[in-house]
Amino acid sequence: MLSVETKYFGTLLCAEGSVFDFPQGLPAFEEEKTFVLIEAPEGAPLVFLQSLARASLCFVALPILVVDQNYRLAVAPEDLENLGLDTERQPELGSEVTVLALVSLHGELSPTANLMAPVVLHVKSRRGMQAIRRDSRYSHAYPVEAQPAPKDPASSNGQKAWSPEPKC
Amino acid sequence: MLVLRRRAGESFLIGDEIEVELLAVTAQGAKIGIRAPRETIVLRKELKITQEQNAHAANAASLEDLEQTIKKLRP
Repeated sequence: MLSVETKYFGTLLCAEGSVFDFPQGLPAFEEEKTFVLIEAPEGAPLVFLQSLARASLCFVALPILVVDQNYRLAVAPEDLENLGLDTERQPELGSEVTVLALVSLHGELSPTANLMAPVVLHVKSRRGMQAIRRDSRYSHAYPVEAQPAPKDPASSNGQKAWSPEPKC
Repeated sequence: MLVLRRRAGESFLIGDEIEVELLAVTAQGAKIGIRAPRETIVLRKELKITQEQNAHAANAASLEDLEQTIKKLRP
């Protein structure tokens, strides 16, 4: 277990399995090389990508299939290679890779998700990167509407929304 | 937008110091070479957009903003 100082959840003990190396960082954050994936039931459907080195840096994200259940991956061969994945085919969403869309908040307007540049996490090698698509099939600012949240009793009974038991 | 027609091996200039050469054209796309002063930043446009999106996304969100967002996203 790893003690991680987080932006939203105080200090958490995280399993090694939720720590991902980003050898290239993220665009505009190239110096941040390690992120922890945090899921908090109270925060669902949002998930959190917390920088290990910088507690104040935590991206809000959504599993890409929550944003678009028909999303089709198109990770470029050189990106697959960087992730340690088979370069001859697209990886299987869910089993081989966890794929997230980073979310931007816009006050009263709908939040938007970046479907053009999904964060791809290779579960086995625990390597991650933001794999910018070469095509223009998906928007970098796709408005996200209400989603059916996973069954979560705490969300429906009016309990205060932010006493989470985050998992990471 | 200025549109030029170039064949592989032909190039054009932007200002005095930047040369763009079309190296090859295949079914997968065009291969382009750029000769420019070292201080000129050359970025794929998607990368620039992603940098901006990330910078904005990272700024986001006090806990209150997040709670609002989560409420919005739940049915």
